[in-house]
Amino acid sequence: MFAAGTAAGQGVTGTVYELADAATKKVPLPGANVFWAGTSLGTTTDAEGKFAVPRSAQSNKLVVSFVGYRNDTLRMSAVSEVEFVLRTAQSLDEVVIQANSTTIDRLSPIQTEVITSRSLAKAACCNLSESFETNASVSVSYSDAVTGAKQLQMLGLNGTYIKTNVEDIPSIRGLATTFGLNFVPGTWIQSIDVGKGAGSVVNGYESMTGQINVELQKPDSREKLYANAYVNNFGRAEINLNLAHKLNDKWSAGLLTHASTLRNRVDNNGDGFLDLPLYTQFNGVQRWKYQSEKLMTQFGVKVLHEDRTGGQVNFDPEQRTKPGPNGSPLYGFGAKINRLELFTKTAKLFPDQPYKGLGLVLNASVHDQQSYFGFTPYDGRQQTLYGNLIYQSIIGNTNHSYKTGVSYMLDDYNERYRDTTMLRTESVPGAFFEYTYNNLDKFILVAGSRVDFHNLYGSQFTPRLHLKYQLDDNTALRLSAGRGFRVANPLAEYFGNLVSSRTVVFREKIQPEVSWNYGASLTRDFDLAGWPGTLVLDYYRTNFQNQLIADVEHPGFLYFYNLQDRAFANSFQAEVNLTPVERLEFKLAYRLFDVKQTMGEPFGESVLLPRMMVNRDRVLFNVGYALPYDKWKFDFTTQWNGKRRIPNLDPGYDHTSYLDMPTDIAPAFFNLNAQVTRTFVQWDVYVGGENLGNYRQANPIIGASDPFGQRFDAGVVWAPVVGRTIYAGVRYKIKR
Amino acid sequence: MKTTLFSILFAFTLSFGFAQTGDKEVKIKTSAICEMCKERLERNLGLSKGVKYANLDLTDKVMTIKYNPKKTNVASIKETIVNTGYDADEAVADQKAHDKLPDCCQKTAAPHSDM
Repeated sequence: MFAAGTAAGQGVTGTVYELADAATKKVPLPGANVFWAGTSLGTTTDAEGKFAVPRSAQSNKLVVSFVGYRNDTLRMSAVSEVEFVLRTAQSLDEVVIQANSTTIDRLSPIQTEVITSRSLAKAACCNLSESFETNASVSVSYSDAVTGAKQLQMLGLNGTYIKTNVEDIPSIRGLATTFGLNFVPGTWIQSIDVGKGAGSVVNGYESMTGQINVELQKPDSREKLYANAYVNNFGRAEINLNLAHKLNDKWSAGLLTHASTLRNRVDNNGDGFLDLPLYTQFNGVQRWKYQSEKLMTQFGVKVLHEDRTGGQVNFDPEQRTKPGPNGSPLYGFGAKINRLELFTKTAKLFPDQPYKGLGLVLNASVHDQQSYFGFTPYDGRQQTLYGNLIYQSIIGNTNHSYKTGVSYMLDDYNERYRDTTMLRTESVPGAFFEYTYNNLDKFILVAGSRVDFHNLYGSQFTPRLHLKYQLDDNTALRLSAGRGFRVANPLAEYFGNLVSSRTVVFREKIQPEVSWNYGASLTRDFDLAGWPGTLVLDYYRTNFQNQLIADVEHPGFLYFYNLQDRAFANSFQAEVNLTPVERLEFKLAYRLFDVKQTMGEPFGESVLLPRMMVNRDRVLFNVGYALPYDKWKFDFTTQWNGKRRIPNLDPGYDHTSYLDMPTDIAPAFFNLNAQVTRTFVQWDVYVGGENLGNYRQANPIIGASDPFGQRFDAGVVWAPVVGRTIYAGVRYKIKR
Repeated sequence: MKTTLFSILFAFTLSFGFAQTGDKEVKIKTSAICEMCKERLERNLGLSKGVKYANLDLTDKVMTIKYNPKKTNVASIKETIVNTGYDADEAVADQKAHDKLPDCCQKTAAPHSDM
């Protein structure tokens, strides 16, 4: 209810039908009256039986009437899309409500793609980092060849510029940025919202390129029990168990658990290093939910433990300071992570005024991480407190609504890298106001701003603006603009580059990153010779006022400094979805990035260079076919990833200037994934493959033969390190 | 690799995608009550052996089922409905299955819509 969207603030849209052919077929009913009981606020249905009516402050009972038919009255809750089926005066009173389930959130003023649990089931494996395989806007890459850490990418920029929330609680940020994507198991996920461009001010000031919100399986879900087991050809094994238990009418309890491990040492490329780190993860959430007409509250606890070991094949963490078999020590990487999180969410509801609400989110977390790269230790501890109080209501009628509130964020960082200790405490109280004007969903304007008082970096003003204009019934245009602000955590964000012999140098005091994002998108539904389809075109530009530059142009050094001049990211994307026959879906998407930043501070230069590791072009093709009731499901995805700039690693090269620097380019490659699922009444069985073309980066680790030498670098990874992955799994569900 | 996958996909499309001729249709009166019942019955029948199509009309509680007579028969279709917890024509719902249904789907539930 308090998500970034404006579901509760919008008017009501829907369709009115009559039953024809002896009550077997629904036919749209034009000219029916739709009005709020006891008011003059209303409309009539159009030729297709469709209507749109703003919400009223006086009434929540929506009445549909037509001569010769029984009136139908529906008490409207937060639902904003309804279907009325009118019956002739003799027949029974009945109303059917259908929720909209498309991949693009058509009502949201912010360009938002929804990844449902059905499309998540296409990518059987395993956690949030693997949930974007069939999504064109978000891509995922490995940060290096040793740690297994993964990074999202959207609009040409790293995942750190996306605000990633789990159920509206800021989640993958700070020190959790490094491995956080692995902390949300796939079977826990109910749906994912991917918002592109500037986000709503309600969720804070940190979103720069977009916001991702993950909804988990609910305690009052209809699936009482959901168990999943997975295994792949490298020996990775996973089990997940979700339980949902209704204690009584109002209380329910939910448990989400996960355990996974890889114990098998895999070195298929023969470089003496593990292609995949050995790891074990235990992860769980227990929560309770109370829901009555007037109050919804939930509270719970999340715990996580993960232990990773990577590096040379025979490396043993117990013996890490001792010499190896041939006298010299073995290079190893290790990370132990423990997390504890407590949360509560409470919403006061007003059953007679569904547009009104008061919500409070509170969260406290501790993230503790101990890691090492060879002999270099890196430990970090982050303690966070977060609170967000939101009130929403309308001004007169639901054409004008607003959300306002206050928030507080406390982050206490304690990091130690080699023998340097870095302490930082951020305390940020803030307030926000967001106004929405909605003219029957034809035109929506959302204007929000927030002010935050940062104890270290002063007051931050964050304005955001969103417009949605329905050009015609099938075409929507969206525009957005907004400012973003965040404090970077260089070591956690460039963790993969630490798996190298590079010396980390902070050239100056790192200032917060500040950006402006502007975007436009066009969504059009069309009909191609009877084949329904959707076309989405979008363009976004992110301009940085300050950016953290992580400079790996110099072999042997990782320089961090502030942006001197310019940094920007342009992103253009075109996506076509087509459904030639029922249950057969095609998706074809192309996206183009133009991402540059000014570099050269170490030599007193200022040169605009293409951002490293960003591929300019990417094409995604997905085809899915399902039999009725999903008895069989087939899914195939291929991605073509274009060329990208990588650090120049020629051992004879002496870096003296950023001008006329020789440029190394990594080649383009294909990635193929496929999956088949067979559904039984309570069971699902699936088999699939990732990287079926078996494409591997030739030498993912530079200087692998001498890991304590000058040239060692595992941070230059642009393609899969591990080859073809074949997996199989089962899901077992008991529904209420 | 790619061509293999496509041909497998295509083969499945051919063998499952198009309704075979010789299918039979049967109408069975059930004790279903609401949308949840409809979803449950259609899914359980749809996923059972030999059933091609299952649709429940909530106005008269009659279920229309298309099936392949070589793979299943009316008796086993009725058995599936009974084991899901609903009456099927003259056959009475399995008591154990019926009692496991949510309150709104049990026979004692007052007629209602899903709001």
